[in-house]
Amino acid sequence: MFYRLSGTYHTSYAADRKLWKIPADRWMVILLLILAVLAPLYVSPLYLGSYVLPWVIWSAAALSLTLLMGLAGQLHFGFAAVMAIGAYASIHLVRFGVPFELALLLSGLIAAAIGTVFGGAALRVKGLYLVMATLAMQYLVDWVVVNVPAISGGAHATLRTPEVSFLFVPVESLAARYWLALGWAVVLTVFFMNVKRTSFGRALVAIRDKDFAAAVIGVDPFRTKLMAFATSSFMGGVTGAILAYCFYRAVTPEQFGFNVSIQLVAMVLVGGLGSVIGSWLGAGFVLLMPIFLTNVVSGLAAGGWVPVSQNFLSHLPLMIYGAMIIGFLLLEPLGLAKIYDNIRKYFLVWPFRHARS
Amino acid sequence: MTWMRKLALTTALVAGLSAPVAAEDIKFGLLQDFTAVYTFVTGQYNQGQQDYLALLNAEGGIDGNTVTAIVRDTGNQPQRGIEAYNRAKEEGAILFDFLSTPVSAAVLDQIQADKNILITPAHGRGDASDGTVFPYVFPMMPTYWAQAATLIDHMKSTDGLDGKKIAFVHIDSPFGREPLPILEALAAEEGFEYQAFPYASPGNEQSAAWSEVRRYRPDYVMIWGAGGGQAVSVRTAIQNGVRPEQIHSVIWLAETDAANVGPAMKGVKRFEATASGTEHPILQRIQQQVIDAGKGSGDQANVGNSYYNLGVATMAIAAEAARLGLEGGQPLTGETLKAGFEKIAGYDAEGLLPAVTYTAEDHQGGGAGRVSEWDGEKWVPVSDWTVAYPDLIRRVIEESATKYKEGN
Repeated sequence: MFYRLSGTYHTSYAADRKLWKIPADRWMVILLLILAVLAPLYVSPLYLGSYVLPWVIWSAAALSLTLLMGLAGQLHFGFAAVMAIGAYASIHLVRFGVPFELALLLSGLIAAAIGTVFGGAALRVKGLYLVMATLAMQYLVDWVVVNVPAISGGAHATLRTPEVSFLFVPVESLAARYWLALGWAVVLTVFFMNVKRTSFGRALVAIRDKDFAAAVIGVDPFRTKLMAFATSSFMGGVTGAILAYCFYRAVTPEQFGFNVSIQLVAMVLVGGLGSVIGSWLGAGFVLLMPIFLTNVVSGLAAGGWVPVSQNFLSHLPLMIYGAMIIGFLLLEPLGLAKIYDNIRKYFLVWPFRHARS
Repeated sequence: MTWMRKLALTTALVAGLSAPVAAEDIKFGLLQDFTAVYTFVTGQYNQGQQDYLALLNAEGGIDGNTVTAIVRDTGNQPQRGIEAYNRAKEEGAILFDFLSTPVSAAVLDQIQADKNILITPAHGRGDASDGTVFPYVFPMMPTYWAQAATLIDHMKSTDGLDGKKIAFVHIDSPFGREPLPILEALAAEEGFEYQAFPYASPGNEQSAAWSEVRRYRPDYVMIWGAGGGQAVSVRTAIQNGVRPEQIHSVIWLAETDAANVGPAMKGVKRFEATASGTEHPILQRIQQQVIDAGKGSGDQANVGNSYYNLGVATMAIAAEAARLGLEGGQPLTGETLKAGFEKIAGYDAEGLLPAVTYTAEDHQGGGAGRVSEWDGEKWVPVSDWTVAYPDLIRRVIEESATKYKEGN
């Protein structure tokens, strides 16, 4: 009823290959996009700057990581380091005189190059062993950033982003920064939806499911794995640069620490591996839920509803948050994306019960 | 028609209740890390801050204005700190204390643009002491540079420094390396020799660094870390033949660490910016009017601890600044509060602090501190409040602040 499937026939290949075949989905996406673009007009600066903007950027990061973890099946526990390379590279490039647009691309390429070197470990090892190799990347990059003042920016290890403009628009006001981040997130989203249908995307899936079987049918594991690391690191590197210029505007090593890597992995897992909507939902959940819970619990405490010490009060949101993650994963192990999918499928044929897909 | 009358009456009543009363409510944002890295200090520190504000309000506030603390956990995550800052700013807070270097760094530029006050006692950038470059940031207390200088000054006063060897054992992070320029400059001036021994963060395991120290045979040892690593430093030092009396620590060594180390801790020295213990007028009044009245914000056993008193001192200075800021008769904003800070001259919080004076140039408050020694039960001061090598400290601050202006 809501999706009005009757009368929707795909009579040409082009119609059958559309990203959103059902008109209702298409309209929903268009509406969301319009709402997102107009957000600076109706969302208060508090919510735009502290919730929507970081959510958009972290969704882009989760999309970059899920290409590697969800599509290609290569675990990466050092993705924050990839973003750090992008962020530091872009700042130093702009300071060196490179135009911002070009610096973004170059920082992605630098991140891709370094990410691919560490991805080389994936050619030999899998699973937990690969986790160890990527963890090594995290710590090595951290160590280099902290110990080379030329990179980290002197004694206080803080590097402020220079003033830049993107296509003649100064990246200064909150709205401009938001639109740049949104633009990049939309590009990644569209890229990700399309890459699944290319030969490269199918090769990634083949590698994920069984790499020798993929080799037997003619997919070169060497090339495909390295390409997966390169693509994902490029996306992650540019996202790191966007994070630096659009959100933090002053880069410190702590912004790209090990805990951030774990957060990114959590976003991808809670959202649903290899899913676009899962990356958005997962990033929103992992990033914003602790903030939301902290504010709710503090609000209740201010009203005298939670008579506990400050220390316990601060840990309470973490407990609820942890219980929520376990709860969601028990309810639906395939993540938030699958929960969304179940709801959508239910309404596809509502008021009847059985959906085809 | 009755409903109209009711509506009018209700509106009048609601408006009457919410109409601004003459005295305003001053809001401070204490948006700190209760759950991640700084947990070793935040609990007691924040308890001291809240208890002091409770005392202040119980005694009639600042000229009749109450002070409310907005307390939130940021988990040491910059993006959560930014959210908490923006929210508290919207709620009307004008002074912020994050007690987290990464969060303070992330908010610093925004807070200056918004003309709100950021206090960074015992954390954050030392060069923010230069008020000409950082007009709205107040480190308030001796920077790590001043702390290192005070410790060296104390070593000099005990047994001289000429030809002596100092082992500087530090956590391998920007914070741990911060005193190095001071050591470098003073080594030449005072004729001592020093060597740095870094250990990996978070410092749960330091035996490699300390066996090197043992080979170096130092006369004095400086330890520079924070949290659980500090007790490990003291314990490992003693295992490696360093006498407790030789150990001099950064401000982050407190009663909890002494309890973790045990009796061997006796004789260890540390820098302190505030007096510890409950034998001070303010602490006594907190005990009577806040703790005994059941209005304390945490465990009563913490009252008088080093970090608790540090928290009390920060709020005492901030309240004094607010009082002076209100003197002009204008409402309190970030700008008037800044002016209030810069009017503070010779304020010592009834003996809890060395007398501090802030000026438009100096936001450190002079940088006076002293050295205290653990006598097995409490910290006993072994020096007077002194300002060590002020010219050197000022030079380092200005050099670093210039670099900030250039973008770092």
